[in-house]
Amino acid sequence: MIVIENLSRIYRKGSNEVAALQDLNFRVQQGSFVSVIGRSGSGKSTLLNLIGGLDRSDEGSLFFKEKDVMQMSRRELALHRRFSVGMIFQSFNLIHSRTARENIELALAFGGKSRRERKKQAMQLLEAVGLEDRADHQPTELSGGESQRVAIARAMANKPSVLLADEPTGNLDSATSGEIIELLQNLNKQEGVTILMVTHEEDTAHAVSDHLLRLSDGKMLEERRISQ
Amino acid sequence: MNYPDKLIIGLANLWRMKLRSGLTILGVVIGIGALTSMIAFTSGIQKNITDTFEENDVFTSMYVTPVKADPSSIDLAETMKEGISSLDDDILDSIRTIEKVAIAHPEITFPARLKLKNKDDKTRIQALPKAMEQYKPYSDLLAGRFFSSDTAKELVINWRTLRSLGIIVKHKDIPRDFTENDSLEEYRILPPDSILGQTIELVSAKLDIGNVMKNPLKAATGTENVFTEESMPFTIVGILNVERNISAAGIKGGAIIPSETAKAIPRLDFTSVWDLLGNSGGGGQYSSIYVRVDDMQDLETVKKSLEDRGLNVFALADQLDQIRNAFLIMDAILGAIGAVALLIAALGIVNTMVMSILERTREIGIMKSIGASDHDIRTIFFAEAGSIGLVGGLFGILLGWAFAFAAQIVINQHILPNDELPVDLFYFPWWLVLGALAFGLLVSLTAGLYPAIRASRIDPVKALRHD
Repeated sequence: MIVIENLSRIYRKGSNEVAALQDLNFRVQQGSFVSVIGRSGSGKSTLLNLIGGLDRSDEGSLFFKEKDVMQMSRRELALHRRFSVGMIFQSFNLIHSRTARENIELALAFGGKSRRERKKQAMQLLEAVGLEDRADHQPTELSGGESQRVAIARAMANKPSVLLADEPTGNLDSATSGEIIELLQNLNKQEGVTILMVTHEEDTAHAVSDHLLRLSDGKMLEERRISQ
Repeated sequence: MNYPDKLIIGLANLWRMKLRSGLTILGVVIGIGALTSMIAFTSGIQKNITDTFEENDVFTSMYVTPVKADPSSIDLAETMKEGISSLDDDILDSIRTIEKVAIAHPEITFPARLKLKNKDDKTRIQALPKAMEQYKPYSDLLAGRFFSSDTAKELVINWRTLRSLGIIVKHKDIPRDFTENDSLEEYRILPPDSILGQTIELVSAKLDIGNVMKNPLKAATGTENVFTEESMPFTIVGILNVERNISAAGIKGGAIIPSETAKAIPRLDFTSVWDLLGNSGGGGQYSSIYVRVDDMQDLETVKKSLEDRGLNVFALADQLDQIRNAFLIMDAILGAIGAVALLIAALGIVNTMVMSILERTREIGIMKSIGASDHDIRTIFFAEAGSIGLVGGLFGILLGWAFAFAAQIVINQHILPNDELPVDLFYFPWWLVLGALAFGLLVSLTAGLYPAIRASRIDPVKALRHD
């Protein structure tokens, strides 16, 4: 589903060059749960940003369903972000001026849904993450776990086949983290959504994923398939 | 995402920052208000002049005078010889034969006194043929009718003359404000119908040649009265309509009488050197002749053919182009002053939008991460800028109108004399209202161009890291 070949991303500032990713090669099967682990600065988030179409590589290819994301136009990248992938972040990234429901409706609006459809689907998504009673709450009125659930609901609004999760439990306590991981597992198992999760927590990664990538200084240190 | 959704997002963003948005919109309101009120002012003056021209048939009227002798010329006799030196009935008849001339009549006005009951008023009397009744402003009287014939002893009077005679016509358009001096006079407020049919005395003076010849020295020193007065009764048959504009060029006197009747009235009617030379009025020599065509297109042709006959022709319509050019310059100057206010408002929009981008960088990153395209972001910011312009434009027009309304009241009540008709100094034509709205929108969209492009080009990765 995702094929990465010789992928490199170098950040330049003046004469300084920092290689965030170097010559990366791997494949992701549809429906798999991939965990990307590594220390801070190892290139995990950069990799997710490239797959999510938020950033561009300096070298190499990134095929998503046989189409090279790195060759896409800005408009095609926007469509890729809109329909092909959903993203969740450590800091949830909800828009604070909008309620939980409106945050989801915004994603549905970019997906071209009518006002009536947006309202209906947003409520269904909130129901799926167990937050239908929090629909009209602002993000500041939600707990960390609830915010991340809303973020997951929003990421799944346009039914992407891949969910990219950048440290989704990084700001949560262990109990809430467990709930979020469970939610991701359900999406993976029941909905068939491919999950790529960046995490610090090796135990969690081993417990939930069937494919493990370990990065160090932008290079692939280890790639392992785990049978669950 | 469709355009209404983007507009709603834009409006919601403006609503979020109420104070800042309000102040930015206020800048546009002031800019558009200044621009519209200034252009409305020049439009108002221009409309007043054009309407006056139209109401008085200026576009179809011209005045023929003898060729003017150039007083600076050394050989005056030679100058006089070159053209026609006086207007008489032969010239009048020849003018009437020119194709497309609808009517031609001599311009006759003379001073007289009008007496009504115990009041009298000095005014000028204008003599007109009955045929003029079909033309403005005589075709549209406030009350009554034009004279029944050229020999009738009937008179059409101006409402101002009636006022001087102690009668205020009861009519919605006629002002009834009183000054301190007015309050000493006795006025009667009468409906037009009760004025019509009243008898009015026209008292004219003539030079008593016999008395002058008998006592030339006394006449010269003013100790002997060389004038005699003669009175003639007239029936008031009509009241001239209220002039809707600053002046009514077509009406040249306080009352109008039939042209043939006027010939029988002894009078002092020297209005030019030709009259003083003798044979004015009854002698068939005139200082000027009024010529009218039915269609304004024919004015130039007739004018040329009159000039070919050695006559001097003056048509006010010729001045209109110059007046229009002057107004264009005035429009440009006042418009530029208004535009400066709008330019400052535009800078305010740019400032607000750039600030908004800085504050919403992370939000832009989030929107991009959930699928917003550059175009979506650009349009949302455009919608914000456009909304500022549209709302500012609407309220700006209202402000301009309110300012004009207040200025109108101040001018009419405190600056113009009390008995002057109120004037409409401001005019808001539909093109000004729509143009101001469109201009406000255009300026705000132009001001929003840079911020919108800047917002759309934001790198989502950096934006998501932004605090």
